[in-house]
Order: sequence, then structure tokens, then C-alpha cells
Amino acid sequence: MAPPPSGPTQKDTASSAAASESPAPATSAIKAPPPETPTAICRRSYIVLSFWLLVVFLGIPFWWKTTTIYRADLPVDRMLEWADGKACRPAIPIQIAVHADSLQEEEANHLVRLAQHAIDDLNDFSGHHLRLQLAPRQDRPREGEHDPKSALSIHLKPGDATTAALDPYRAALDITYPLNSVPPLHSASSMLTTYIATELRSTFAEEQAIVSYLLSASPSSPTSKPAGLSPAVVEALEKRATRALRYAPTYHLTFSLFTDGPTPTTWDIDTAINEYMKPLLDVLGPIHNFTIDTQVQLYATPGVQSQTLTMDDLASFINAAEWPLSPSIGGAPTINFLTFIGNQTIGFPDSEGQTSQSWMIPQWGTVYLLSQPDTNNHVPKDALRQPMLTFGGHLLTLLGTPQSGSLPLRLSSLSRIRSADLLLRASDTLGSLARLSRSLSSIAIPRNVADGVAKSLQHLEEACASLGGSEALYHARIAEEEAERAFFEKSMVGQLYFPDEHKIAVYLPLLGPVTVPLVMGAIKEIKRLLQARKQRAQEAKEKKSQ
Amino acid sequence: MLLPIRLLAVLTTSLFLPLASAEHTNNWAVLVGTSRFWFNYRHLSNVLSMYRTVKRLGIPDSQIILMLPDDMACNPRNAFPGTVYSNSNRAMDLYGDNIEVDYRGYEVTVENFIRLLTDRVGDEMPRSKRLLTDDKSNILIYMTGHGGNEFLKFQDAEEIGAWDLADAFQQMWEKKRYHEILFMIDTCQANTMFSRLYSPNIIATGSSELDQSSYSHHADNDVGVAVIDRYTYYNLEFLENQVKDLSSQKTVGDLFDSYDISKIHSNPGMRYDLFPGGADVARSRLITDFFGNIQNVEVDQKENGALEEELLELGRTIAMLRQKEADELNQYNNATSVPASQPTEPVKHIRGATALTDDNWWTKKVVGATALAGCIGLWALGSFLET
Repeated sequence: MAPPPSGPTQKDTASSAAASESPAPATSAIKAPPPETPTAICRRSYIVLSFWLLVVFLGIPFWWKTTTIYRADLPVDRMLEWADGKACRPAIPIQIAVHADSLQEEEANHLVRLAQHAIDDLNDFSGHHLRLQLAPRQDRPREGEHDPKSALSIHLKPGDATTAALDPYRAALDITYPLNSVPPLHSASSMLTTYIATELRSTFAEEQAIVSYLLSASPSSPTSKPAGLSPAVVEALEKRATRALRYAPTYHLTFSLFTDGPTPTTWDIDTAINEYMKPLLDVLGPIHNFTIDTQVQLYATPGVQSQTLTMDDLASFINAAEWPLSPSIGGAPTINFLTFIGNQTIGFPDSEGQTSQSWMIPQWGTVYLLSQPDTNNHVPKDALRQPMLTFGGHLLTLLGTPQSGSLPLRLSSLSRIRSADLLLRASDTLGSLARLSRSLSSIAIPRNVADGVAKSLQHLEEACASLGGSEALYHARIAEEEAERAFFEKSMVGQLYFPDEHKIAVYLPLLGPVTVPLVMGAIKEIKRLLQARKQRAQEAKEKKSQ
Repeated sequence: MLLPIRLLAVLTTSLFLPLASAEHTNNWAVLVGTSRFWFNYRHLSNVLSMYRTVKRLGIPDSQIILMLPDDMACNPRNAFPGTVYSNSNRAMDLYGDNIEVDYRGYEVTVENFIRLLTDRVGDEMPRSKRLLTDDKSNILIYMTGHGGNEFLKFQDAEEIGAWDLADAFQQMWEKKRYHEILFMIDTCQANTMFSRLYSPNIIATGSSELDQSSYSHHADNDVGVAVIDRYTYYNLEFLENQVKDLSSQKTVGDLFDSYDISKIHSNPGMRYDLFPGGADVARSRLITDFFGNIQNVEVDQKENGALEEELLELGRTIAMLRQKEADELNQYNNATSVPASQPTEPVKHIRGATALTDDNWWTKKVVGATALAGCIGLWALGSFLET
């Protein structure tokens, strides 16, 4: 603001500086603009103010809204609780029904109680415990009948000596006992109860070891050490873990016939599968679904040409570069069962004379060498019997079935192991997601991730409550599926990190030209207001002094 | 006294490191070229040479993810149509039979690469284009292209930052998607690309330091462009000559020691600090742990015959049981005319999934209404000021 002219005496000394600083209307060479009218000043203030209002109340909220990443609220603490094993202590109760129809009610009760005590004394691992229960009496014991709630039923029958035998067709243990070995009503222990306890323990030993290994291997376990497992057992369990495929609700089985010549061109695979594989796939039905395809490949050269295959050769026998063993059929993981027509043999370095026809590749499948006369154009069903049975046995192994016990028992224990496994996996995934959402603060978390997490948590709770029962697998499966889906949410990707230079480079060309007039206008207005206020105060003072 | 202590130490480490000590069961390779156009011929031949090598050492196509942003074999400027060579002697056509490119052309993007690593893909993605690894998988990740300080350019249009890569690896580690990774990169200032990694179990190596270029090895005058980069060339030379097959005992350390700065013309970098056990353990890993496909096969011995008999027996029994069950069901249905709709399962009360965010309909409406009112107010203010 120009200072008021001080007086006419200074007029002649008025230099160029004075001309520019104090343009006296009469003397200055440059014509000054006419004084601004108060309405114009007022209008200018309104304009500046409205621009600022626009920026502050519309621009900034819009910018904020459009650039923030949507992050749904995840129950991070609860997810971490699951991952750390605090939310659920996996414990698999195994119900065992005792059928002792030949005993008196009281005697049987007492026997069961004593046997339960003996089992509890033997058991040192809390994650897996056996619970005996006296089954209600049946007037007519029906063969093949099985209570779905109990994992095993014991049939006590009087006999000559104490023997135990697993029923190969049902989850049942037949125990015979001499009459005199039944504990009297007030005795504290007896031979028979100890016998039952040790029998049961040995029946479930493998399952117990696997479960205890699972719990100890997962980082979520409170105790980081397998409970009382010997190194040899741990090694066997590790081997099982590396062999077995990861759980999937559906597996795709590919049966391939490879031959290095022009024959054979056909095989009775359909009837062979129906005959030898189907029953097995049916009993596996509650745990897995299977889809099947088959193929025949002629002139397929193996990766190794030698007649006698050594252990090293076996690993490279599969000609991965040329054989069409593609996994891209459907969405399910593929298990390959390969029959190779050829007269190669497998040589063992350590034991002479021993021969073998097949080998298993962990997590992949099986190769079976089938020798066949060259002239034969067709592989009949009978020739496929041995390969099919081998494949069946290997399928069980690849699915992680325990090795010991009767098949029904192995399958039921597979379903329990898998449900514990899935439960741990799902909790682990949730934990990973929770940690990730904390560490990557700029990752978007869409709403369906939160929904998936909620669903997963709910099913986890139900699975945890029903572990050991038949529903556990169902709930654990859904929990794992939902947790995986939440973790692998498609939209949770993109470039997560933008360096500050990038941000400046993006914003400056736009915001620079916009902010300069805005800020300058604001500063000028504020200056003017302050000046006007000062002037008014001075005028008021002058008025007072007058 | 010493022996028991040592034994104890071995025991405790084996107990507390169950994951680290376990072996891997499968091998995967992710081979990525990131540049387009004819003058970047050498980048594609780098990738294809690596592809040939891992395939030679037994990794099946289903476990190799190959990303090629351009098709040099079919480029109109290619004097040898349908082929790609990495050497001017043209002894080996890299583009011959049996090549499976998983991501090609404009599919090779930063987003797709990160999606591949983190497996955040839609249902429509076929299994052959996914990295289906688990906690027992060793992964070789090889990248080549044009890079700079902490970035690698993809297709002239975008770039992946070292932080993005590090975050992607961390996500993989969190989800247990690898056992060990060998990260190898051939680009200018390559060593900056792995400087930001922070996830464990990764060995990283690159062709050149910060402010250093990575150079091409030689040009083929008939093809008209450089055909391979130096760093990749000498890596391949080692792999071809020293690692003949899967039984090779050469280690990662041997490979790194073979690097000769006078030949490569830049300083290759290695990073071991992410590996548990540091440089010694990392260097002692076999080449075939990453470039080959190790399979620990299990041969069946004759004694297993019992199991097969049992299976056959089981097959018969099951058929019998099924027959019996069907019969019983028929009888049951005939004897008692139970209505089919009778509930057989106990009714369970399942608490439904609860929504975790509570931005409801009304707040959205209110926000909308406010914004509208604000706009009208501004318009009114404007027209008031105008008059």
C-alpha cells in the first residue's frame, strides 16, 4: 500500500523511486489506475473465499475419498489367536463303543471303567484321547452294522485265551477273553483291562503319532516339541508328510499307458478301473472326490534308456520334456498312474536277485513297468490287475493314509487326521492374512475378504468343537477353503509401493499451477484485511483523540 | 563330555527347526523376460537358454513358468524364421519342439508377475499358468530385461520396484509358498533389485552393481543383433559344462566362484544374509536343488504283496457289502412306509456369518444428500454473488 504523500517540499527531489512508490496523481508520469471501488474489493474477497471453500469442502474430501484404499475391518486379534493356537486346543476324542453282550450290565460297566483308567494312565498326549463307552445291548447283533459316532467298536466274546484281531471289513476289534479274566466288581485292575488298553493304544499309535507330529510341526502349537516321539518315528512321519499330497476335496487321476514301440494300442482300462479301483474310490468317497481320465501314448521314449534301472535312473525315467503329463485338466490336482510297457527291470544295489516292477514318486504318482510280448496289440484286464492294485495301494499312501490297521480303521483315521490338518492349515492361513494386513498398510482389503474370514472363523469354531466326529472334516474343509479364498483374493494385488518421488511427479504438475494463485490470493486478501483493520483502529484512535 | 553336548545340540536343532531341516520335494522355475522389440532379442534368448537348461535337468513344463513378452522367432526381421539362437554358431535352436510359453506378449505385466508369485488369480486361470508351490518347493526365479536403480522395466510401459518384489516374496513366505528360492537377475544395476528383499530362505544373485551396466556377450551378424548377455552366457557355460545331469554335486558356491569379472565386465552380486546359516549353508546348496528336479522315488519291494491281496479282498468285500446294503434298503423301504421327507439329521442352530463392516444404507444416502445440497448451495452462492 502506498504511503500518503508527505508534503509539497519533497516534490522536486522526487526520484524515480518516489515515482514508483508514491504515485501522486498530479505529478507522476505514470497514470495510476483509478481507486478500486469497495464493491470490487468485496467481490474479489468473495471470489477468493469461494475458491477456498470449493477446495476445502469439495476438493479435499473428493481427493481423500478417491485415493484411500478400502480396507475392510478384519478381526485381526481373533485371527492371530487362531494362528497361535490360543483359540482352540485341538483335541481329538475318539469314541469307542464296547459291545460286551455276554457280560452282566454291572460287570461290563466296571470293565469299561477300569479299561478307561488303564488307557488314561498309558496316554501322555492330550491332543488325542480314547474314550470307551458301553454300547447299548442289542438282542440280535447285526453283522455289518456300525455306529457312525464311534470310531471303533470292540466286541468282547468269551473264549479260551486272550486274543485280539482287527476286523478287516469293519472298524471293529474282536477280543476274546477267558471267563476267569473278567475283573471282579471291586477289583482295581485286571489283566483283561490292561490288555484292552494296550491293544487299543497300539491300534491308534500311528494316528496318535501323526496327530502329535502335525500339532508340533505347525507353528501355532503351544508346545513346539513332539510329545515323546522317538527320532525314528519322527523320521517316518516326516517321510509321510513329504509323500502325501496336500489335501484337496477333489483329485484328478490320470491313468496312462506309455509304450516305446507301436504296440500295444488298446487296453482294458475301463473294466480294470471298475474292478480294482472303483471299490477303493468309493470308500474314499466321504473324504475325497475323484475324476478320472486315461490316455495311451505310442513311441514314448523314457528319459533313461538302459535296460537295468538304478535308483538314480528312476528319478529321471519320466521324460518330463516330451510325455504329455499335463496337470492342466480341470482345477483339481492330478495324480499320475503310469503303466510303461517295456522289459526294463529295476536293479537294487544292495540286495541281489530282488526285483521290482514299480516305484512311487512322492506327491506325483506311480510308475509301473509292465513287460508284455511285442506282438500283443492289446493289454487285457488280467494283465492290469497287478498294476491297478499297486496304484490303489499307492493312492492310499499318496493321500496320507496311515499304514497300519485294517482299511476301514485307516480311512476313518485318515479323515480325522485330515480334519486336524485342515484346521491347522486354515488357522495358519488366517494368521498369515492377519500379519500381512498389518505389515502391508497399503494393500486393499475388499469386503468379501472380511466375509470369508468371518465364515472361516465360524466354521473353524464348529470344526474345533466337533473334532473326532464325522462333521469335523466338513467344517474344517469349508474353513480352509474360505481362508484360502480370502488370502488369495484376486483384487488384493497391484503395485503396493509408490516411492515419494513418484507421488511428487504425479501431483506436482497438477497441483503446482493450481495452488500458486490460490495461495497468493489468500495471502493478499489476508494482508488487505489486516491493513484495513489497522487503519480502522487508527482512525478510531484519531477520532477519540479529537 | 563333548560328544553328549554335541549330540544334544544336534537334537535340539533338529527339534526346533523342523521346517528348515526338511528336504524339498519339488522344483519350480519362473523365467521372466521383460523387454519387447527386436533389439532386445538377447533378453529372450537369455530366458530361453535358461528354459532349456532347467528342462534338461528334469523340471517338467508343468513346473516351469515361462514369460516371454515378444515372439522373436516370428519377428519379420528375423533372418531365420521360427528360430531363436543364443550363439552365433547357431548350433542349438532354442525355439524348437516342446516349448511351452505360459505368459506371452502383453500378458507379461508387473501385475501378472506379482499375481503369479502370490497366486492371487481368478478361477479362470488354468493350473498350468499358476505357481502351485508349497512349503516343500524350491523355486528358481530368473529375470532379465532393462533395469535401473531398484526397478526393472516391463515392456517399455511399466516397471516393478525392488519393494514390490520384496513384498511379493514376503507374501509367499507368509503363505508358505516356498522352501528356498534362488533369485537370479541379469539386467543393468541388477544387484539393486534384490537389495530390498527381507524374507528368509532366499539366495539372490545379480549381474551388476549400482551404476553398472550389464553387457551383451556377442552379436550374430546374420541375425543382426546381440544374441546373449554376458552374465547369462557364463552362467550357462558353467551349467552346460559342469552340471551334466541330476547326479552332479556342484554347489551354488561353485557357480558363484566361477564368475570372472574380466569376462562378465560387471561385478556380479550375491546375497546370503537371508539364508538361515548364512553364506556357508547357502553356498553348499546343490545346483540341482534349484535347476534340477529332485525326486526321491520309493521303489516297491516284493514284500508289499500282502497289501495288494488285501486290496483285492477289500474290493470284493465292498461289492458284497454294497449289494447287501441295497437289499436292506429295499427291504426297509418296503416294510415301513416312512415319508421321505422325515428329517434324519438333528436340526442344528448355526450362527450365521456376521458382517464385519457396518456402513449401512442410510449413511450412504446422507452423504449423497449432503454432497448434493453442498453443490446446490455453492451454485446458489455463485448466482447470489453474480447479481
